[in-house]
Amino acid sequence: MKRALVTGITGQDGSYLSELLLDKGYEVHGVIRRTSTFNTDRIDHIYEDPHKAGAKLFLHYGDLTDGTTLRRILEEVQPNEIYNLGAQSHVRVSFDSPEYTADAVGMGTLRLLEAIRDYQARTSNEVRFYQAGSSEMFGLVQAVPQSETTPFYPRSPYACAKVYAHWQTINYRESYDLFACNGILFNHESPRRGETFVTRKITRAVARILAGTQQKLYMGNLDAKRDWGYAKDYVRAMWLMLQQDQPDDYVVATGETHSIREFLDIAFGYVNLDWHQYVAFDDRYLRPTEVDLLIGDPAKAKTQLGWQPSVTFEQLVKLMIDADIRAVGQTHPNGQQPVLAAEDAIIRQMVGASLV
Amino acid sequence: MKTALICGISGQDGAYLAQLLLEKGYTVCGTSRDAQMSSFSSLKRLGIYNQVKLESMALTDFRSVLQVLTKVDPDEIYNLAGQSSVGLSFELPVETLESIATGTLNLLEAIRFLAKPIKLYNAGSSECFGNTNGEPADEQTPFRPRSPYGVAKATAFWEVANYREAYGIFAASGILFNHESPLRPQRFVTQKIIATAQRIAAGSREILRLGNTAIQRDWGWAPEYVEAMYLMLQQPQPDDYVIATGQAFALQDFVAQAFASLDLDWQAHVVIDQSLYRPTEIAHSQGNPAKAKRQLGWKAQFAMPDVVRHMVAAGNKDAGATDSFKFS
Repeated sequence: MKRALVTGITGQDGSYLSELLLDKGYEVHGVIRRTSTFNTDRIDHIYEDPHKAGAKLFLHYGDLTDGTTLRRILEEVQPNEIYNLGAQSHVRVSFDSPEYTADAVGMGTLRLLEAIRDYQARTSNEVRFYQAGSSEMFGLVQAVPQSETTPFYPRSPYACAKVYAHWQTINYRESYDLFACNGILFNHESPRRGETFVTRKITRAVARILAGTQQKLYMGNLDAKRDWGYAKDYVRAMWLMLQQDQPDDYVVATGETHSIREFLDIAFGYVNLDWHQYVAFDDRYLRPTEVDLLIGDPAKAKTQLGWQPSVTFEQLVKLMIDADIRAVGQTHPNGQQPVLAAEDAIIRQMVGASLV
Repeated sequence: MKTALICGISGQDGAYLAQLLLEKGYTVCGTSRDAQMSSFSSLKRLGIYNQVKLESMALTDFRSVLQVLTKVDPDEIYNLAGQSSVGLSFELPVETLESIATGTLNLLEAIRFLAKPIKLYNAGSSECFGNTNGEPADEQTPFRPRSPYGVAKATAFWEVANYREAYGIFAASGILFNHESPLRPQRFVTQKIIATAQRIAAGSREILRLGNTAIQRDWGWAPEYVEAMYLMLQQPQPDDYVIATGQAFALQDFVAQAFASLDLDWQAHVVIDQSLYRPTEIAHSQGNPAKAKRQLGWKAQFAMPDVVRHMVAAGNKDAGATDSFKFS
């Protein structure tokens, strides 16, 4: 039986990846940060008491800023694969906490690579490593669309830290013969997305407007264009990368780009509303430096991994709306059936207006 | 109206302190490392979730601290943030040191940088003393910490004292002995005991596994300990205070009290598990709160037997929750 270690297991991607790996018969170990109150709601449905026979999901306290603990967890778990999804993952927030972002995202990846390097040299057990790269690394894009060979131009502390982690991963692959892969994932969304990410902020607002609990939706730049896919598809690409004969880097994207306006059109139109009546501008949501256009070229992932998305942009928006409508106890105004198999939205509630 | 900033508002003390300060008419702002990811279940349980403003703040990131202080413009800061479990500090030594020592230093530096009359309360800990064999520890007792947590708290204590003396910052450390409540998570032994005893009383046939039950602690009731924090910042001069009940009990006494209150005989349900012993353990911890009584007019109303009674009465809504993981 294979064992996988996942950092960032409480996040959107961590929860989908854990489900996928458990389905494939893996024993899954997750690293969670200490917190005073619990934030494991995305994985509670797959968690069982570890003392029970047959338990396949285990959680360990650790932190990407604490390298000695990562080493101890690695020694204890002895994983075949490590998926590094842990991060301070919000781009706008990275401008407010740049040092912490660099420490968790950049140095955190280096600490893991260092731990694997020593563990593998000492035990000869191969540990395959997946690094969660980001399309934000392309930033001020140098070519359209962006592929594995497009130069980076990061435009946020988050993206700078991700670029550092990306090159360190490649260096450790080349210097120490680690099976280490970078996935350069374009935006990927789902009903489990955090509520301050723009897509989820919109779909949740639509549901709350229908429920009568929200009147306005405050937004920043509506012209930003992104290549949006479905997170559940994207974690499959992560796994596929570690099943190849050779480690490599892959862009994972849909190959389409859409503006935030288009997202608003579909989201509000789906429930017969006109977004212009609800959306207001607030410059607090603008980034100091904006990324205007992201569109990925997933040709390599398609040919080498046999990967492709299962959901169109329109389906993605609608499935997120469906989940958020259900989560607030509403029914669809057109009486429509869900676009895809029903998936529950994770809601941690907006915390005051003061947050990002 | 005064504004208070509570760093680490999602924890036990943060929630009770927020409640107290709201009652006193403060505008209360609280921080957590990631205010999106935190569930703030303690604030919700006290029914004050909608009355506090919440901000994300990484105490290990100076800019993050400075930015929140600038935005909130507090009169008083209560630093309750940081890795707070002694047991877990043996597993997360680096994160424990950074979140406590670097975190406190960043707060002091930010106050120094802003040059505003901001008062700071810093959460010290009886763990700084280590064993207090013989005399109950007071403010003059030398530190002899015996865990990564205790070492980090001792560091933070001296940072506070140094910034007070060097830059005239109104900064006070409360050296709080153990204080418990129903808001404790189950990775703390007191809540683990209460929650397990309640499940057994409800029919569970599980066994309660404990480490060293001979250890002695000075256990108080958290809701009244946060009053002492508040009082320290209302004094004319900043100073450090030991906050304790003055009475020590063995962990075994706590267990017996908890089980007896549910009409159970603890000896039928408890097993001592050597693997739960800590690498270094404090045998006896007892405080002398005379200075707090004299200068703050503060005195603990409740000792261990009352604490157990309160915790059992509150029930444990989280019993069986997945919060002990491998550190049960």
